[in-house]
Formats: sequence, C-alpha cells, structure tokens
Amino acid sequence: MVNKTNAVIVGGGVSKFGVREAHILELFQEAAKACSDDIPRLKPTEIDGLIVCTTMAGRHSSALNTAPLVAHRLGLKPTSICIRIDTLCAGSNSGIIVAKGMIESGIAEVILVTGAEKVYMPQRWETNYTQLAVNDHDWDSAMGLGVPPPFFAMIAKMHMKRYGTTKEQMARVAVANYNYGATNPKGHFYPKTLTMDEALGARLIADPFGLFDCCPLSDGASAVIVASEQRAKDMSDRSLVYIRGTGQHATHSMSAGWPGETLAEWPHLKKAAEVAYKNARVSAKDIDVAQVHDCFTISEIIEVEELGFCKKGEGGDYIASGAINIDGERPINTDGGLLSHGHPFGASGARQSIEICKQLQGRATNQAKDPKIALAHNLSGTCAQHTVLVYGTEPVK
Amino acid sequence: MTDIETAKIVGTPALEGTYISEMDMWPLECREFNRNYHFYDNLREGRFTTTKCRKCGHIAFPPGVICPKCWSEELEWVDLPKMATVVAVTETQAGAPLGFPSPLIIAWLNFGKDSPIKHLLGRVINCAEGELKDGDEVKFVVFDVPAHPIDVKKETKVCDRVYYAFERVK
Repeated sequence: MVNKTNAVIVGGGVSKFGVREAHILELFQEAAKACSDDIPRLKPTEIDGLIVCTTMAGRHSSALNTAPLVAHRLGLKPTSICIRIDTLCAGSNSGIIVAKGMIESGIAEVILVTGAEKVYMPQRWETNYTQLAVNDHDWDSAMGLGVPPPFFAMIAKMHMKRYGTTKEQMARVAVANYNYGATNPKGHFYPKTLTMDEALGARLIADPFGLFDCCPLSDGASAVIVASEQRAKDMSDRSLVYIRGTGQHATHSMSAGWPGETLAEWPHLKKAAEVAYKNARVSAKDIDVAQVHDCFTISEIIEVEELGFCKKGEGGDYIASGAINIDGERPINTDGGLLSHGHPFGASGARQSIEICKQLQGRATNQAKDPKIALAHNLSGTCAQHTVLVYGTEPVK
Repeated sequence: MTDIETAKIVGTPALEGTYISEMDMWPLECREFNRNYHFYDNLREGRFTTTKCRKCGHIAFPPGVICPKCWSEELEWVDLPKMATVVAVTETQAGAPLGFPSPLIIAWLNFGKDSPIKHLLGRVINCAEGELKDGDEVKFVVFDVPAHPIDVKKETKVCDRVYYAFERVK
C-alpha cells in the first residue's frame, strides 16, 4: 500500500467516576478537559471528527441524538464525522475501531472518541429498571433479567463446577484490581484497598458473588484523541501508540443464541481475539500488559483463558500465580479495572485504552516493565459481543 | 405484589396505572405492533412455538419474519419442547427490577440434544427459595401479565397479554 497512514492513540483523560452530581453533558465536558490536559498542544479547532459513545443518554438524559449535543457543548464543529455509537459496555472501544478505519482510509485526521453515562437517577429503582431495555427486552428481560449479577453468577457456578475454580481465586482478582485502583484518584472506589479476608467475608450479592466480585455501575466519562501519525507528532512529543489490530465478534442477543457448550466457555471471545491478533500480526504470548473486562471477578478468569494467556480452565490458577500483578508476567487492569475504577458503560473502553496508551508510553501510575504490545478487551450485553484491540509501540509492518 | 395481583393492573405496575410503553417490562404483543403476535396467541393455547424456515429447515428462536440463516420469508410455526433440565440456578433477593417479585428465580435450562433450542435462560415461578436444584426438570407454563391500552381512532382498546415461564416438576 502506498503512503499508508497509521492511526495512533495520542492521549486521553477521564472524569471522576462514581455517583456523580452532574448532568451527562457536563461529564462529557469534564472528560474532554482531562483529555486536553493530557495533550497540551491539542487545539479543539483541529478536531475534525467526533464519535460519541453512550447507551443510556437517550433514556436517562433525554438526549437521543447525542452527538450534536456533545459537539455544541465542547465547541466542536466536526467536518468528517459526528455520530453516536451504542455497543453498551464496548461503546468507546467500538468508537476507536471506527476512528482507526476513518483515519487510515483518509476520511478523517483527528477524531475525539468520547464515552459517558449518567446511570444514577433521582430514584434508584429506575437504574435497574432501565437494564430491562439494555438486555433483549421482549425475551431475556421479560424473564426478569435486569442487572447482570444473576447471569454472571450462573457463569461462575458453571466454571467452578467444570474447572474447579474457587472463591479464593475470584477474590484474588478483586484484591489485585482494588489495590491497583487505590492509586487512581479518578476511580469510583479510590482510595479503597482490599484484603483477601475482606473480599471473602463480604456480603453476598448473588451466590457465589460477594460485594467485591461485582463491579459497580458508575456515572462518568472518558475521552481520547485518535489521529494520523503526522497529526499526532504535531500535537505531542510522546512516543506513538499504534492501534495495530482490532476484532469485534457478536453472536447473539438473547440466551437461546449462546455460542458456548456451557456458560463457562466463551468461544466468541476466542474468535474476536483471533481476529485482532491476526490483524495485529501478534499472538497471545506477545501481549505484555492488558486491560480486560472485569465486570465480575469470574469474567477476568475466563478472559485470560479465552484470550490465550493460559490454558482453558486454568484461569483461576493463572490469577492466583500472581501473573496479573505489577511484577507478574502480564500485569492486567493496572488502573483498577471495572471492579475498582468503575463502569460507566460507554466510557469504559476508552478508559481502558487510555491506560494502555500510558503503559506503552511508559507513564502509567502502575507501570509495567517496558511493554511493547498491549491489549484492551470489552464484553457487552449478557456476554453477547466481544471487542478486542491490540496496541503497539510499532506499527504493523 | 404477586404476578396474579399485578396482572390486574392496566399499564406498568411501577407507574401505578399510567401507561408509558418505553417503561414497559413486557413485550408489545398485539398485532398492531408485532408481526409475531402468533407467538402470544399460541401461548394462550398453552403452546410454546417459534418459526421454522420452509426453505432451509432452520428453526430460529426467538421467532421472526425472516429466517436468520437464509433470509427467506417462507416460514411456518412449529412447537418447541416444553420440558427442560436445570443446569444452573440463581435467586435474587434484592435488586430484581421493580415489578418482578422477590425472590426472583432464574435458571439456565437445557432442552436436550434433539431440541432446536439447546439452552435458554428461564424464570422459574411457583417455586420457594432454595427449592430448585441443578438437574431438576422444569415444564413450560403460561401466565397473565398486565394489559396495556392502545388508541384506535378515538377509542381506547385494551390489549390483554400473557407471558411464559417454567415450573419445577414435582
């Protein structure tokens, strides 16, 4: 290919995550400000594209055509693209995939990808009730499936039964991620640390999950700049972080379409990872540092298996070996992950990718040792879709 | 409130009688809003059904107006198995969506290797907390859910509704 432009992630920022006394458009503004603080030479007038990622803005903030609202509040006048993307928990990583395609095809040069959710409502019941519209409403939701803990609790029970995974191994995920998150002032549960005793002694949410096995729902926003290599060099002196390859695999919307032999097997994640690895010209063993979708502790255990970091069924042992710790073979969720940093659906993907960007530029708070290749992963819905992005310090040659 | 009590309400129980479809926990089942209203008519007759493709033979669930395998529109209604085996159970004490009673019991169900549906997430009703175990057999049951109003010219018509769940076979 002649004169191929590579898309890079330049930098980004997040709002404070948590139960926020703020409107969603203000959260978008906070994230944009944090993004511009991270990239001092970024001029808002140079942003030609805006990709807004949110699921609940339409319903919770009466903001259905969200992208122009965000553009106005950020003072942007996009000329290449101005759209909203809704892939629930994978929203802003989906946005980064679209931005990569637009930049590498020459349609856009500098795109702001931003995600936000205002989850908490004046009456708390409404937040859970909205979840009925987030799942497949007429089918699984009509069975009472609202918030995800019941579904993932069945996944955990099945993984424990088939592979001998233990509550202690799940607690190890929570302890690792909370202790990473205790260093992150923007996180939902900052500055909370966690011990094994606390994790195992927590009140029951949905058997076998205790409180610390489940991520919170959070209000919050994230924003990143994705740009062509040349434009990135104009606005930042930091080393470039390339979006080497991506994969997104959707198999179903409701339970009858579940692709695994049982709930403990996630072949759709394996497939998404295969596609991303192939596009990025890497394999699982090349991943030095990762952000995986730890909506529940069991999720991270299954994800390290299906991403190929260990053998199928050995995720619990892998976690317990300390592999995910900062001095381990592959630090994971070094900013606290969903468990501690929190989970405003549409904002989580970019939040992960910001941490990956910092890791590959050597400036993360919990810095892994000299990483070259990194991965971000989201699942969305009732584990119905998987999104994998592979980043690197060098482009695909 | 129990299902029997909420079924007497016209509208969304959470909204105490005012109907806002966006807030509805149940499907819009009537033919004015749903080309698959046969599914619900069949429920009223105690049948658990879906659409089968006459061209390629694929049986889809949920039912649709095209075959998701070959996109043919030539479909027919067929019956699905009404018995399933419980693979995993989860019971929600607190945090069930408003309108659903607690404890809310949801199970991962297996319909056997000969069934066109391999597995399904199903609510189990008429069951006490702690009663349902892995390996139990459950059977399909139909129950009434709240009706909703629709405007037809200057009149308001009430659409009765049903839904399905599963019950433990004792």
